[in-house]
Amino acid sequence: MLRKECRILLGITCAATLLIAGCSKSVEPPFVAIEQDVSPTPAQVGPATVTLKLADAAAQPITGARIAVEGEMSHAGMSPRFAEAKELGQGRYQAQIRFEMAGDWIILLHVTLPGGKKLERQIDVRGVRPN
Amino acid sequence: MNPSSIPAPDNPDSLPFDLMRVPGLGHLFRWRYARPLLQAPLLLLSLIMILHGLFGPTLAPKSLATTLSWLHFRGVLVLVLLCAGNFFCLACPFMLVRQLARRFFKPRYSWPRALRNKWLSVGLFVLILFTYELFDLWSSPWWTAWLIVAYFFSVLVVDGFFKHASFCKFVCPIGQFNFVASTLSPFEVKVRDQDVCTRCHTNDCIRGRREPVSDLVTIRGCELALFQPSKVGNMDCTFCLDCVHACPHDNIGILSRMPASELMADPIRSGIGYFSRRKDLAALAIVFTFGALLNAFGMVSPVYAVERWLGRILHVSHETPVLGVIFTFFLILEPVLLLGLAAWVTRIWAGSRRALLPLAVRYTYGLVPLGFGMWLAHYCFHFLTGLYTVIPVTQSAVASLGWPLLGEPRWSLTGLPANIVQVIEIGFLVLGFAGSLAVTYGLAESDCPDSPLRAFLPWGTVCLALWSASMWLMFQPMEMRAMLMSG
Repeated sequence: MLRKECRILLGITCAATLLIAGCSKSVEPPFVAIEQDVSPTPAQVGPATVTLKLADAAAQPITGARIAVEGEMSHAGMSPRFAEAKELGQGRYQAQIRFEMAGDWIILLHVTLPGGKKLERQIDVRGVRPN
Repeated sequence: MNPSSIPAPDNPDSLPFDLMRVPGLGHLFRWRYARPLLQAPLLLLSLIMILHGLFGPTLAPKSLATTLSWLHFRGVLVLVLLCAGNFFCLACPFMLVRQLARRFFKPRYSWPRALRNKWLSVGLFVLILFTYELFDLWSSPWWTAWLIVAYFFSVLVVDGFFKHASFCKFVCPIGQFNFVASTLSPFEVKVRDQDVCTRCHTNDCIRGRREPVSDLVTIRGCELALFQPSKVGNMDCTFCLDCVHACPHDNIGILSRMPASELMADPIRSGIGYFSRRKDLAALAIVFTFGALLNAFGMVSPVYAVERWLGRILHVSHETPVLGVIFTFFLILEPVLLLGLAAWVTRIWAGSRRALLPLAVRYTYGLVPLGFGMWLAHYCFHFLTGLYTVIPVTQSAVASLGWPLLGEPRWSLTGLPANIVQVIEIGFLVLGFAGSLAVTYGLAESDCPDSPLRAFLPWGTVCLALWSASMWLMFQPMEMRAMLMSG
């Protein structure tokens, strides 16, 4: 026979398990292809250029999009770096950001498509080297 | 009772400063519900951190879970320990949940005798340091939230089954960190007048205050088995103030003292025994000190070169064995080598009559200030350079609920400039070094009164080596990575 404590413990375990299972996130399927390039390669502390090429499902370049670029580090306490990408034509866009510290960086792309639809993408830039 | 009821001293200058005499503060601490009052905001904050970690942004710099845990909590914790005492344990939110749970089910068992030491908590302390590096906890709001959930769960399980404060005394890794660090705090929960205790026959401070007829406990005594009249220092004291509330003579205060003084003496301590005979406590001090350097080493550029080199010679690409080797070196081989050598030289050179192991155990406590200096430098770097980041993160969290009450997140807010923080870091390291030199010299003086310098020099050399390593670490370029072996 289970003691009262064991039953309570079992209840807490079940609740925790349900919480774990219930916290998984669904991922939307991509509908825009984004080619990306970050230079210099390998990335190092200092200015960097992010070049993007947007294409739709039919592989046609997407023009007239607005792309806000945000550079983040993986540790709390680091302020993000923001930049607006300039359109170069033929679905190509370019932004300048600055890697302030060595380590892992994450570049977030906040894309607003010509029709007003929004999407976000993430580029992992691992191991930015010190100068 | 109020602070003015404390008998006036004959010579006020000879008595230590007592926080309980501070108007307002004394009243607050004497109030029976002072602890829940302090715990409730932290519990609320913990719940917010859990929810934001699980359901909020996945990026660490944008999450309240990671920002508050790895920046603000750690920074405030070490500063409060340095400037006051173990007040985090007083306001511990986990204990509030435990207290609420104990209204529904009472623990029946006593903590197993074989585990009434620090070995389990030392192992958990190392495990937390290891998982912190392995899973990059600092970069994951999700795992940070689950770590907090796991903590609540562990408290409920341990203190649900076992009586008294078993979790605090024998399990909690944060508590052990606080216990060791608070040996350097300027305040201590202590009896004001030993004569009053000599005349006391009820010992309510440890037994609890009881109903005269039914003998039921109405105000709890110390759950950590610290009997106030023979309690020495802050080790194992959670500042819960149960003893203050239980003492019928209002004879317990929060008194000032010389930081680290308890490390220099070796009296028998209530609930602890002799420091010099506690190998488990010495192991805790070792993990505290060498773990401080190891934890900082995990954040600077050279660690990646070391990891790649180890990966090559071990022919492994997974991080676990590589980290295992690094941890074994830093937390076992290096301390054994340094402390063993210093103890051996002390025996030979200064003629100490102690055996090698007791000698090493005794002097290990002298390294605690160095370790605390390193923790302070490391945690305050993150805390001070990211001091204001909690503002935009909170603004963003509130806005994400659809209530932009706090305005647009001001992501440009960061913290103090790194060059200013570096000066503060150097200050902490120098303070820790000076503290360790003072404690080891104090130990040498009492150990070898005829040749204290000879007994001190080997330990002073160890302190110098560790301090040099700390300074070297601090001047290395920071490299914040979430994937150590990523190249």
